[in-house]
Order: sequence, then structure tokens, then C-alpha cells
Amino acid sequence: MTIHETSAIRGMAESDRLRSRRLRNRIRHEAIQLGIVALVVVLLGMLAYAVKAGLAEKGIRFSFSFLANTAGFDISEGWTLTSDEGVVPNLAQFSSEMSIASAFVTGIFNTAKIALLAIILSTTLGTMLGVGRLSTNWVVRNLCFWIVEFVRNTPLLIQLVFWYFAVVLRFPPMASAAKLYGGLIVSQQGIYVPTLSWSGGVSTLSLILVTATCVSVLGAVFDPIRGMRRICIFAAAVCFGLLIATGGMTVDFPVANKFKASGGTSISPEMAALLLAVVVNSASFIAEIVRGAIDALPKAQWEAAGSLGLSRRDTVNDIVLPQVFRVVLPSFGNQYISLTKNTALGIAVGYPDLFNIYGTIANQTGHSLEGIIIVMASYLILSWIISSAVYWANRRLNPMGVSR
Amino acid sequence: MITASINWTRHNLFGKPFDVVLSLLVIPGVLWLAYSIFDWALTTARWDIIAASLRVLMIGIFPADQAWRAWTASAIIGAILGAGLGCVFSFKPHHGLVLVVVPLLLLIVDHGDPGNALPAAGVVGATMLGWVLTSYMPLSRKVMPAAAFTGFIVVVAVMASPGVGLWGGLLLSVLLTLVTSVLSLPIGILLAFGRQSRLSSLRIICTWYIEVMRSVPLILVVYWIWILMPVLAPQWGLADVARGMIGFTVFYSAYVAEYVRSGLQAVPRAQIEAARSLGMSEFDINRSIVLPQALRVVVAPLVGNVLDIFNSAPLVFIIGLTDFLRAGQMILANPQYGDRTFEVLSFLLVTYFLVGSMITYAARKLEDHMATSAR
Repeated sequence: MTIHETSAIRGMAESDRLRSRRLRNRIRHEAIQLGIVALVVVLLGMLAYAVKAGLAEKGIRFSFSFLANTAGFDISEGWTLTSDEGVVPNLAQFSSEMSIASAFVTGIFNTAKIALLAIILSTTLGTMLGVGRLSTNWVVRNLCFWIVEFVRNTPLLIQLVFWYFAVVLRFPPMASAAKLYGGLIVSQQGIYVPTLSWSGGVSTLSLILVTATCVSVLGAVFDPIRGMRRICIFAAAVCFGLLIATGGMTVDFPVANKFKASGGTSISPEMAALLLAVVVNSASFIAEIVRGAIDALPKAQWEAAGSLGLSRRDTVNDIVLPQVFRVVLPSFGNQYISLTKNTALGIAVGYPDLFNIYGTIANQTGHSLEGIIIVMASYLILSWIISSAVYWANRRLNPMGVSR
Repeated sequence: MITASINWTRHNLFGKPFDVVLSLLVIPGVLWLAYSIFDWALTTARWDIIAASLRVLMIGIFPADQAWRAWTASAIIGAILGAGLGCVFSFKPHHGLVLVVVPLLLLIVDHGDPGNALPAAGVVGATMLGWVLTSYMPLSRKVMPAAAFTGFIVVVAVMASPGVGLWGGLLLSVLLTLVTSVLSLPIGILLAFGRQSRLSSLRIICTWYIEVMRSVPLILVVYWIWILMPVLAPQWGLADVARGMIGFTVFYSAYVAEYVRSGLQAVPRAQIEAARSLGMSEFDINRSIVLPQALRVVVAPLVGNVLDIFNSAPLVFIIGLTDFLRAGQMILANPQYGDRTFEVLSFLLVTYFLVGSMITYAARKLEDHMATSAR
């Protein structure tokens, strides 16, 4: 390019030739572009035609109107949106009289629920495993190494099958359910967790306490003034304790009966197995990310902290992890997206996630093509939400673009 | 010696108060777990069920009189893999221990009956033979690609006659992994170049393809291809195995494309400029300057991708194929054996772990090999 430019400066006669050559190049470029677009359009058209012909042979028409039909099948768990009264939609348990569209909503809700829980749990567990791999204690270090190595080198599906058939289904039956302190019931019929429920009505005192708790939690999360975090956590605990003590909110402990437990929130065996499998699998990948980031940290940081007389725990908590979390955020985002996709394996144990419900709908109505468009779009949107959330967090943590 | 070990223990296990707590919590737990696992494996577990169903686990529900076909195919695949292994790191006599250990283990499992263990030992032997051959005969490395290609054709020819829908087990998992890794490489390279093309339309199409494939689950893609293929081309009548392979290739091409793209970006600009100043065409530059350097950088992630494919292979259960895990579940479902969940699952887990570790180890070795040969 530069050679042409210099020769263009030398003589006007060449400039004309250059201009015409540029024009020719541009026309060729545009023609190729047009050709590619035309090719893709023709290919997609042929695809659409072939699909239409194939579906017509089976007597199925391509339309999204089936979404309004009554579902006619039950989903074992999950919530959906209804808009029976007024404009504001409210959550309701899915039932077979609802439309197919609300079945899809239930699937998205179930997938999002398990993904969110798994993201929180696997980040915690994964960070612990990753730090554990660098422990000074030989047993802990090697134990973490072998757990991570084993989980990373075996398929997730067999881990899921293992958790379901060899662990969760072997919990004691409800009649002799294992009751842990705090009211946690572990049984074959599911795991029951105590929940908080709003019982005191709307009184001024409880409203004030709820607001105070929320403000303290927000303060602890965002830490506006240096050193406020511990005070905020303490304040939140006190406010929350008062809220329960005054009866504004009660803890709903599950009670085990002979075959069923009542109260609290139940986690079905399928969900428990899927959650265990996805959390452990994802945690071992997160552990590797964390370990890699800690290894990449300059050795001088450890030495400087040591020369300041900080203990190893303080070094990890105050020097290493804050720096590591800045670096690992993008990798965490990728891991969260693959975790969300992995929940589709729930079909192997019968957890009603988006893909499982799509399978049921496709079997019942035959509209598998329309369904797949909805499912793909849903997964794309979920991925985008996660990646934009990670991007936002990254921007917040690395405002000057410190990310390496 | 004793002082050294006491010092080691004091330093590593009881160095600080926090370490003492950790050690006291973890060591008894690990010991108890190890004891109960060994106790179960040696006294309670009934490994004869695994031994009796070894054939189903390895080659699926292949008709018994045709089993030799599957074993021949496995031996050929094993020989190709072994020869590939020999190209990267040479066979050393102590590696031969593996040759002894595997049949020995199989014999122990089988209570001394060689009938079931013999074919598996033959596959291991073929692998070792390929490894030794390429290690000690440098000439054989030159004909490796051609031999591998011929080998795959022979495998298809051997397997094809009783019908492709019948076989499965570990053989299916391995073949699915191999075919997917081999096919997704050229498609991934094309996609990676397409994503960096100057033509905006091509760039947009490739980017969208990669982005969509990377954000939907594999299980969805496999299922979709499975239901779409008969609608699109009913006259082809593709077997489930082929449809599964197409689904895997369509999905993993996007991942390979991203790896290759990262490699392409790692090639210094100066290389391209130098090639341009030599008057090479864009096609020649990409083919003989950029691509070889890019591939060298991404060899380790690409082998890691092979591990990923192998670990996702059980997902073909969604289209009804009998892969290794599904074969195990068929044994679980057999009421004749009673409740043998732990035996079957632990056998599957250990096998998957061994094969997966071998792939990881190969990736690490290959990375070292590439790093030293680049210097």
C-alpha cells in the first residue's frame, strides 16, 4: 500500500490508475460480500423449504400458535408466571391446565434457579479448593489436588448418575430421616431446609428492622467507608436477630412426618443430585482458575506481606484473594456460562429444567422446531445475562482496565 | 531418616495451630474413607458381575458371534493411537509395565478366567505395538497420517456389515472422540479464519455461529441434529451413530475455532508483513506462515478439547446410543444382578478417570515437546 501511495505522490498520471484500481477492488470486495450473503440466504431458504416439506409430510405446520394451547402434562416442581388478576403477574405453581408457554416459563425458571444456586455454591467451594491446593498442610494440599484432578477427568454425566443413584437415593427414608441440628432434614424424599417467613404483619417496628437489615447488608457488600464492613455485618446480625425476637419474621422449621415433611423449603432428590454434581464439577474448574491466578501473582507480594509480619491467613485474605478476584472474573464468567449449560443434563435424572420440558413439549405437540428456537433463544439470553453481569462486575472492580 | 520424617511431619502437618486443626480433622476422615473403600472393594464388592459383562461394557450389545469385528476395530484404533503416542514421546522399557499390569488386573478381576480378558489384552497389546514401532522406527512416523487414514477406513469396513446401530461401549466413546476431534479441526480452522476475515458478511456469520454454539448446551445440539436430519434428508437414512458424530462436530467446531483464533492472534504481525513483502498471496501466507505457527501455540488447548469431547461422549444417551456409561446403566438395570450400583459406577468412574488422565498427561507431554522443539 505504501509503495503505491509514494508513487501516487510522484505523478498525477498514476493517481488516476490508482483510483480506478481502488474502485475495482472495492467493487470486487462488495461483490464477494453480496455473493456470500446470497449464498447464505439461498442455503437458509433451501433449509427452510426442506424442513417445511419434511414437516408437511408429517402433517405439522410451522407456527407458534401451539404456545397458547393447554399443556396437559404435569411438571413435578417449579413456578410460573400467571396474570389472572390485574396486570402485575404473580408466581404460581405450574399445573397441567396452564398453557404451553407457561410450561416453558417454568423450565426457564427451574434452569435459572439451579444455575443461580450452583453459581453461588461453586464459587465458594471452588475458591476454598483452589486455596486449599496451595495450603502449607500436606494432607489438605494433596486431598484438594486429587479431588480436583478426579473430578476434572471424569464426565459430568457419570458424576450426576453417581450422586443420584449412589448418594441421594440412598439417604434414609423419611420415617427415619437424618435430622441435623437447625432443622435440616435429609431424606430420600428430598432435603428440607428451614425458611424464613413473614408473619408479623406490617408493624412499624418490623418495617424499621427490615430496612435496617437491608441497609446494613448493602453497606457490608459495597463497603462505602473503609473498615465499615465488620460493623455493618454486626449491625445486620443484630437487626435480624431483633426481627426474629420481636416476632416480625419467623423461621419455618420443617417437621418430618411418616412419609412427608411439612414446612420449610423442600429440595427434590433430582434437584439435590443435579446441584451436587454441577457444584462439585464446576468448583473443581474454578479451583484451577483460582490456583492459576494465585500462581501468577508475583512472589514479591507474598514476601512483602511476610516481611510486614502478616500471618499466612491474613496474607491470603487481605493481599492475595482481593488481587486474584480481579484477574479471575472473566474466567469465572466463562465457567458460569458452561455451568448454566450443564444443567441441561438434568434430563438424565428427571429434573424438569428447560431442556427436559422442551423434550416433553416436542414429544406431545410435535412442534420440535419452534420449541428449539425458543430454547436456544432462552439459553442465549441466559448466557448474555451472565456475561453482562460479569462484565459489569469486572468494570466495577477494574475501573481503570487493570485486568490482565 | 527417622529425624527427617519427624521433621517433615512437624513442618508439613503440624506447622501452625491452624495446620494442626486441619490435620486432625482431615487425616482421620481420609483414613476412615480409605479403609471403608478398601474393605468394601476387597470383601463385599462382587467384581465377577463386572467381569461377566466386560464385553458389553467394551463393545456394546454387539452380537456375540460378530464380536471379533469389534475387537479387530478396537485393536486397529489402539494401534493408531499407540503409533501417534510414539511420534510424540518415545517408548521406554519401563512403559512396558503397563503392558503387564492391564492383563494382570483383568485376570484378577476375572478370577483367573482368560476368556473375557484376552480380547482386551489384545487391544492393549496392539496399542503397545504401535507405540514401540513408531518409537524405534523413525521411518514409520512419515507414513503415520496415511496409515491412520487407512486404519479408520478399515475400521469402518470391519464394523459396517452387521449394522452400525448395534455397537457401543467404550469403543463407541473412543471412536466418537476420535472422529469428532479429527473432523472439527478443519472446520474450526475455516471458522477461525472466517471470523477474522476482512469481509464483514463472512465475519458476522462466523461470529454468530461460534457465539450461538458456545452458549447452548451440547445435549441440545445433538438432539436437534438427531431430529432434524431425517426431516432434511430422509433419503440418506443416516445411522444414529453418524448423526451423533455430526452433532458433536457441529458443536465442537465452534470451540476449536475459538482456540485456533487465539493462536492466530498470537502470530506476530511482522511474520505476515514479511511474507507480504516477499510477494506471497494471502492464501499462501495463511496456509504456510500463519497456520503452522498458530497451531503450534494451541496444541495443548486442542488436546484438552479432546478430553472435553471424551468427557461429553456419554451425552449420546439422549439419542439412544449405548456408549460406555449407558452400557453400565444397562447392567445396573439388569435385575438378575441385584443391586450393584457401587461396583458398576466405581468401575466406570475409574476407567473414565484413567483414560481422561492419560489424555491430560499426553497434553502436558505434547506441550513440553512443542515448547522444546520450538526453541
